[in-house]
Amino acid sequence: MNFKFRHKRITGILAVVPAREQSFVEDMKHFNFPIARSLKLKEVMGYDKHRIVEPGVCVSDLAVAGLEHLFKNDLLHPDEFDALILITQSPDYFMPPTSNVIQGRLNLKHDLLCLDINQGCAGFIIGLMQAFSLLEQESIRKVVLINADVLSRKTSPKDRNSYPLIGDAAAITVVERDPEDTVIHANLKMDGTRNNVLMIPAGGFRLPSSPATAVLEDVGDNNLRAKDHLRMDGSAVFNFVQIEVPRMINELLKYAGATLNEIDYFFCHQPNRFMLQKLADKMQLPYSKMPSNVVERFGNSSGVTIPVTITSNLRDRLMHEQFKVCLAGYGVGLTWSAMLLDLGKVKFNTIIEYK
Amino acid sequence: MKCIFRNKRISAILSVVPGQESRFDDERSNYNLTEEKARRMKKMMGLDRHRVAAPGVCSSDLCVYGLQQLLNEGTLKKEEIGALLFVSQTPDYYLPPTSNVIQGRLGLGHDVVCLDLNQGCAGFVIGLMQAFMLLDMMDADKVVLLNGDTASKLVDKHNRITYPLIGDAGSVTIIERCAEENPVHLCLKMDGSRHRALIVPGGAFRTPSSPETLKLVEMEEGVVQSLEQIHMDGAAIFNFTLEDVPPQIEEVLSYSGNSKESIDYFLFHQPNQFILKQMADKMKIPQEKLPNNIVGIYGNSSSVSIPVNITHNCGQQLQNSALRVCLSGFGVGLTWGSMVMNLGPLATCQTVDYEAV
Amino acid sequence: MNKPEFYQRLAEILDVDELQPESVLRDFDEWDSLAVLSVLALADSKYGVTIRAEEIRSVVTAADLADLVEAKQK
Repeated sequence: MNFKFRHKRITGILAVVPAREQSFVEDMKHFNFPIARSLKLKEVMGYDKHRIVEPGVCVSDLAVAGLEHLFKNDLLHPDEFDALILITQSPDYFMPPTSNVIQGRLNLKHDLLCLDINQGCAGFIIGLMQAFSLLEQESIRKVVLINADVLSRKTSPKDRNSYPLIGDAAAITVVERDPEDTVIHANLKMDGTRNNVLMIPAGGFRLPSSPATAVLEDVGDNNLRAKDHLRMDGSAVFNFVQIEVPRMINELLKYAGATLNEIDYFFCHQPNRFMLQKLADKMQLPYSKMPSNVVERFGNSSGVTIPVTITSNLRDRLMHEQFKVCLAGYGVGLTWSAMLLDLGKVKFNTIIEYK
Repeated sequence: MKCIFRNKRISAILSVVPGQESRFDDERSNYNLTEEKARRMKKMMGLDRHRVAAPGVCSSDLCVYGLQQLLNEGTLKKEEIGALLFVSQTPDYYLPPTSNVIQGRLGLGHDVVCLDLNQGCAGFVIGLMQAFMLLDMMDADKVVLLNGDTASKLVDKHNRITYPLIGDAGSVTIIERCAEENPVHLCLKMDGSRHRALIVPGGAFRTPSSPETLKLVEMEEGVVQSLEQIHMDGAAIFNFTLEDVPPQIEEVLSYSGNSKESIDYFLFHQPNQFILKQMADKMKIPQEKLPNNIVGIYGNSSSVSIPVNITHNCGQQLQNSALRVCLSGFGVGLTWGSMVMNLGPLATCQTVDYEAV
Repeated sequence: MNKPEFYQRLAEILDVDELQPESVLRDFDEWDSLAVLSVLALADSKYGVTIRAEEIRSVVTAADLADLVEAKQK
């Protein structure tokens, strides 16, 4: 489905990544594969380091740290925003909503609309759409969008399919009205028939966690994981991305009356460097326009990878310059989405560490 | 948050409750209760019977059943659905989103926007808010709001404080555009500083599931529960409901230009009969206008209690005529949200029993 | 505040015929979570005050409870 939004803009992005860094070379020791073969995979996929939270750290911890940083540095005032949207697949609790936990920890006002939305890889774009939609209400002046996940805590260290690339992070994006008549175009599609391509089988209410779901099983490809662990069908995801994403971006460009060349940057969800370079090849884009350097430094933090890509690649430049960008998020659901917007002249575009 | 929605209406509500009914008198032997205390509790809380889902039945199953029925009857066509909202605290998985699982099960098209919202007691009001906003964002005709909870899975069946009141249910509400202005007024507040008053401490990421979190621990009064079950500070929730909700009702009435007399029904979240009677007395609303009977028939099904309240108490009326109603959901978060709207006539406004296929 | 009337109302909640001010609430069979809610409701509807959850947990005798309600009325 196509969407058009007017008079909205992003005015700041802050990414929060755990200080704890692990390298593929360390991770390798736990895999069931010969070292040489793992090193080959590292080359091809572009794995190197990823950021993982310490045991027990939750999304509200990362989010609270990020918001406190913004308040302390006068980049945001607790009273000036009217909605706090948290997009996560790894909530602190099943109840209450984690957005209320964040609200409580920071003593934010009672008029604040707090919402927890469950989304992953396409979560930044879906979160932006939610923010734009809320800003149509007169009583909402500014929205704080938080994307956050700590999925390393549900990934098996003995699963070479997933562990090397997983990362934890949070991002806080401030969204407000734009007096200029800017237009933002977006496209969103979902295919629930393929929902089992990216999943955690146990832990919800379909299959509650128990000692049995914690048992590591050899899933047949030398990787060991439990039903409590994240499970990704790598080749299904790769094929899905190669087929659907270029098509969606082209349709979106047509809808917006724009051409591929006009776009300064493509900030895409970062499953791994290999997939992104293949995507760039398919779309005949130079790698410089489609950064793919996040997984090797921070890991794949699901819905947070797009803001991590923007903050880590553009840094201060985004405060002084303006770019025409295309965002693309695709993955769990299966969901695929793209957004075209002008991004720039923001108040902040930084990464900080969480200790 | 205060806002007005225009040119939208609810066109159908279907509540789905587990087919198996359990009676308080039959379950009494599970509880550490004297004859006298049981009698007192039954009377005060308005208990009698409740509906609990069979093992293996999830909130999504109840919602899919309802949605399938509406599709089969022709009340709704797949092509009309622009968005599917699933509001629950008991989702199928951490990932993928349950709304996508439902999308897949029913073969809904790729253009359907599917969203999972985590909300409880205020989840019907918040779900409606989200549905109204989605309709403004998209070209589609209809949004389907699913509310579903199987809170019985979060309570031990020997817990005499919570189990007798619990209920499981699912509901399907169709929201669409309309030519008439039909304003809907909303007042919504949230106070996260009191979030511990109603919480499931373990099982998710703060305290992951382990043999420790599954252990039953004795609380006061000889009641046992685990960290993966609902912990409620009854006194704090009681005070909150009596202190914070009535002023919001006054606010939303005034905001919508209504008086208590101009409202036909106050259709509130149904925690138990005692608190609802207290609220009616405090706000000087006659008991007939503020139904309080749902916990004694179906149990308290969290965000679904409002739709079950509507379909059970006003189902017939709403299929034939319009009523001016004030909805109010209050609880987990802590969140309290109230809405005034004209409701009905509806194509369907019924309660049905879930039958496993 | 009319204390005898308060003790009478409290006696009804505890299902006894009468109540001495120095009676320890915890000694009554009926002093459970339902009784607590009834007391909170009583405080609100008949005395116009809110008793906090922590406050009711720290009260020992019937007189403590009466004093608490009276203090809040001021």
